[in-house]
Amino acid sequence: MMKNPANEYKRFQNTVAMTVTLITFGMLFGTLFLGYFLARFNAPTWPPVEIENMPKLLPFLSTLVMALSSYTYFKMEKEEEKRKTFWWATFGLGILFLVLQYVLWNALAASGILVSNGQVPSMVYGFTWLHAGHIVVALMTLLYLGRYIFRRPEELTEAKLVNVGKFWHFLGVIWLLMYLMLFVL
Amino acid sequence: MAFVEQHIHDAPTSFWSKYIVSYDHKVIGKQFLWYGIFFLMVGGLMALLIRWTLAYPGVPFPVIGNLLFPHTNGVVPPDTYAMLFTMHGTIMIFFAITPILTGFLGNFCIPLLIGARDMIFPTLNMLSFWFAMASGVLLLGSLCLPLGAAAGGWTSYPTLSTNLGQPGVGQTLWLLSLFLFGVSSTMGAVNYITTVITLRAPGMGYFKMPLTIWGLWLTAILNAIFVPVLGAGLLLLTFDRVFGTTFFLAGAAATSGKGDPILFQHVFWIFGHPEVYILILPAWGLVSDILAFFSRKPAFGYKMTALSLSAITILSTVVYGHHMYTTQMSPLLTQSFMTLTMLISIPSAIFFANWLGTLWKGSIRFDSPMLFALGVVFVFGLGGLTGLYLASTSIDLYLHDTYFVVGHFHYTMAASVLLGGFAGTYFWFPKMFGRMMDERLAKIHFWATMLPLNGIFMGMMMVGWAGMHRRLYNPFIYEFMHKLIPVNQFITFSAVAMGLAQFIFLYNLFKTVFSKNYPAAPANPWNVGTLEWQIPSPAPHYNFLEIPHVKCGPHELGNPNLPDGRDFQYQTEELVKA
Ligand code: HEM
Ligand SMILES: [Cu+2]
Repeated sequence: MMKNPANEYKRFQNTVAMTVTLITFGMLFGTLFLGYFLARFNAPTWPPVEIENMPKLLPFLSTLVMALSSYTYFKMEKEEEKRKTFWWATFGLGILFLVLQYVLWNALAASGILVSNGQVPSMVYGFTWLHAGHIVVALMTLLYLGRYIFRRPEELTEAKLVNVGKFWHFLGVIWLLMYLMLFVL
Repeated sequence: MAFVEQHIHDAPTSFWSKYIVSYDHKVIGKQFLWYGIFFLMVGGLMALLIRWTLAYPGVPFPVIGNLLFPHTNGVVPPDTYAMLFTMHGTIMIFFAITPILTGFLGNFCIPLLIGARDMIFPTLNMLSFWFAMASGVLLLGSLCLPLGAAAGGWTSYPTLSTNLGQPGVGQTLWLLSLFLFGVSSTMGAVNYITTVITLRAPGMGYFKMPLTIWGLWLTAILNAIFVPVLGAGLLLLTFDRVFGTTFFLAGAAATSGKGDPILFQHVFWIFGHPEVYILILPAWGLVSDILAFFSRKPAFGYKMTALSLSAITILSTVVYGHHMYTTQMSPLLTQSFMTLTMLISIPSAIFFANWLGTLWKGSIRFDSPMLFALGVVFVFGLGGLTGLYLASTSIDLYLHDTYFVVGHFHYTMAASVLLGGFAGTYFWFPKMFGRMMDERLAKIHFWATMLPLNGIFMGMMMVGWAGMHRRLYNPFIYEFMHKLIPVNQFITFSAVAMGLAQFIFLYNLFKTVFSKNYPAAPANPWNVGTLEWQIPSPAPHYNFLEIPHVKCGPHELGNPNLPDGRDFQYQTEELVKA
């Protein structure tokens, strides 16, 4: 990763592109949050009856996993010697997150909270589905990055590392917001 | 940070890499052009079916009626009518106008006009076209379903668009198709925005960009921000239809009755109002340039025009509520939206006045691009003014859901955008294909389009003002409508005339592109100084062998002190004092 003007400029271009991309994803999730707030402010009581027995532990674990994966990604960027280890850690945590989501959906259904039970359960399912879908995409970008880390380290640019990271951390922040809105507050 | 130019990529050699999976922005631009023209024809045929039904309810559609509707002996059935206006609107907005104005003009113009060799991400660009293709195929495919395609209006409001209103798969395919289309547009937008920010030739500051680029760039920004909002709405509606969520189902329609159909309207119009500017901004931009080029003088108030376009872009994000005056929003909200909407007329009036200022005392040349650009000035004037009527809540309560709205948005959107698209096509044609289109045919095409066009949309506003509702299969079951039958027939005949006029364009287009021994176009047939006219026609695959250095603005025309009798300056030349 040499600092030459061409690379610097490439990085600038990628930063602009990634920023625009994250704004578009931000608007997608922002719209969901808007729907949530409208529902919340129009609701006579909160939490509505249908979500009183919402599972608490599973989403909390998911949040921990998400935060941890952001940390391992951060380490992967910084510590070049242990990059491969941290790549595996991040990837594994991403998979673990998906597994936890799957367990969560089953737990919700088991406790009688079904998709068709009204707007709030719809949100819990719909929003987490969409977020999980994005995690799948993020895992694919991580695989793409892995190709460089494991096979062609000489072609690994800082721009690639930073941009995949931005997407990863972004999804972490979105999850945190969802966790707070849907399960905590 | 030092500017770094893109390297020159190798010329494609096979037919496949040249025309099918091309990375070249000019080829992708042309692909979008053909795509848009195809859908214009499909959408246009649907328009004629709608118009026929409104002029002659219960009468078989001439010539192909029996082929299309054998069960009713050629008469358009009511449910099909709903499907027709839904698909007509969807196709025209997303599959005709958007591909032509942003897909084709955006791809073709952006790199050429800013002095770049290609878009910054050519692969993403190619993907964007193929996503659009998949989405178009999906939409057309939905027409062949047993229960028909979507029929809930281009706005696809619930409850019409839920499983109760639309039991068939058509609506679901519509949602998926539009989602794919949104992904394609967003990819394009990321590409356009980044290209304009990072690949402008050295010396080209933002205020030295042609106004066409301003329009396309602002469009891309709106696109990147608001298309995902629609995307979210589409996904939630899809969940409602496929997985049984209840985001939008209300009342007896929902098993537990907790959803909110109005929420969808908010989401839709938060996207939908910016969307109409996504469509019009490229046309405004290129009209601003063309008026200057063919009046042979600098664009009047260039900076103000660019800033007004930006102001409109920003304001367009906060006025969406004017589409929802009749949804029982609180009066405080409706009035705020009314005020904000009215505010838009200030920047609109500024750039409109600048257009007139550009024309004022110009030595106007009435070549075909100029005729079409002047057409835009006229029809947009009418469209914008009628918008003010609708913006006022009290008048809108009466006009909402009448043909007045239909007239309004066809003037602002269909007419302005269509004429603007033609202006751009005629103007950049030599740079695309290395040949000039037949000017005489182009002028006939202009008048044959312009006159009936006003017949159609002026007529719509008249019947709307008289109280004719939109989306009715047969408005003449109401007695007060009987007197309006002749007007409706007049509108229909105008529509047929306008449809036929487009064959002049198609003939001209195919003749020029495909006939042999056609004379080659010069590099700069219109005597214009922007960067693309300094390279040969058609533009070579790498555009610029040497990246140009920009020294002056895009409209330096009519300066009497220019050397050797020229009346324009290239953007790479040092500005001569006037
Ligand atoms: C210049 C200022 C403009 C104002 C004040 C304005 C105002 C309005 C208002 C208040 C409505 C809602 C009418 C109703 O549903 O009752 C409306 C509808 C509409 N306008 Fe405009 N408009 C303006 C410009 C434009 C432009 C430039 C475009 C497109 C390029 C456009 C496209 C539309 C469309 C598509 C609809 C109808 C959507 C539907 O209900 O299907 N308008 N306009
Ligand atoms: Cu609007």
